[in-house]
Amino acid sequence: MNTLINVGVSQMGASSSPTVLRTILGSCVGICIYDRMKKVGGMAHILLPNNPGDGNPEKYADSAIPLLIARLVRDGANKEFLSAKLAGGASMFKFNASVTLGQIGERNVEESKKILEKSNIPVLEHDTGGNTGRVIDFFLEDGRMKVKAGGQEKLYYKV
Amino acid sequence: MHAHIQQRIQEIINNLDRLPSIPDVASKVLTMVNDPDVAFKAIADEISKDQAITTNILKLCNSAYFSKGKEISSIDRAIVTLGIKEVKDIVVVAATREVLNKIIVGYDLARGELWKHGIAVAVLSKRIAVLKNKKSIADIAFTGGIIHDVGKTVLALFVQNTFKEILELVQTRQIQFAAAEKEIMGFDHQEIGENILNKWKFPEVLRSIVRHHHQPDKAPAEFLPIVSIVHIANTLCLMAGVGIGADGLYHELSDTAIKTLGLTNRELEQLYGDMPQVLNQASGIL
Repeated sequence: MNTLINVGVSQMGASSSPTVLRTILGSCVGICIYDRMKKVGGMAHILLPNNPGDGNPEKYADSAIPLLIARLVRDGANKEFLSAKLAGGASMFKFNASVTLGQIGERNVEESKKILEKSNIPVLEHDTGGNTGRVIDFFLEDGRMKVKAGGQEKLYYKV
Repeated sequence: MHAHIQQRIQEIINNLDRLPSIPDVASKVLTMVNDPDVAFKAIADEISKDQAITTNILKLCNSAYFSKGKEISSIDRAIVTLGIKEVKDIVVVAATREVLNKIIVGYDLARGELWKHGIAVAVLSKRIAVLKNKKSIADIAFTGGIIHDVGKTVLALFVQNTFKEILELVQTRQIQFAAAEKEIMGFDHQEIGENILNKWKFPEVLRSIVRHHHQPDKAPAEFLPIVSIVHIANTLCLMAGVGIGADGLYHELSDTAIKTLGLTNRELEQLYGDMPQVLNQASGIL
């Protein structure tokens, strides 16, 4: 049996094949990064885009992603072989456009992509936006990501 | 609409035995707390009659979230140390756990997720009440948070069979999930919840929270602030993925609720950013 690690809100998890990392997302974004050669990978569950410097780096896209990359490199990953998948970033179905809380999902996705691009990690797949909650499983045996949303499952294989 | 589904749900509502039950002590305590003529001793005696729940209540009194540091070994001591409002909230936690802490099939919630969601909404509701200078209703907001989704426990089975239709209606007509529930099945989870609270003899303010948590503007004016608090707390928890089920975020973030509480964009984002702390506190109650 594969080990299952539940990654909570504003937490991070990293391990190696055949561990499975799981999280549940609303407007948060799950960033899954994988080294296809070493078969090590990790997941960050970020709540907000930008870190105001409050000592919780795992909570924000701009600080969590560099932290996750550093962790994976420390665990033996080679930065050249890393690639990413994103999921989450949903929004409330209806909200007044002047309420910035309604745009957090979108801002989380944008910031995550920006930081990954800066870090030279290609985003190969993403399942983001919309109004659904998502349960994602990230399989470290081959880097696939399973997204369960609104009663349906989708698989993303590119690594 | 499916007339036969509506009829089956109506039968459940009409036959009180088929709605979930909780220990009597909960409604008794809720009523006694609101009666200025009832002595604390009488409330303590009432609770202590139910041995099983007393054990659970004492455990909760000494949990990280409620404890004030001193070991509490009797209900009398609990009322003196924590206050009657806090003890009332603890009674509701202990009384409703069994009903809420289970798998909710149609909404795709694994065992414990609805319970965790309710407790997180309760903790966050209390925070919002304190933040917006409504400390006097913080305890009721907490109770309302725990039970706001209780209707899902009954409606889940029917949602399971009609989920595709509900979602299609949400998308084609651009209506909230709860509104689509009502169109397809004749009832939404808020109405069922209100019926359950009627059976439990819970006070009107709690029935109003359960009935209107997705559309606070429909709540009676006197309950608008408290319904708004639970609405915002529910929204923030769902956005953070806590207890998010098959109905996802197909809900409205009510402008009326935001304006009623006078919440700024900054405060809303701050509260959302506090979710890890809220979950940490909630875990002390689970």
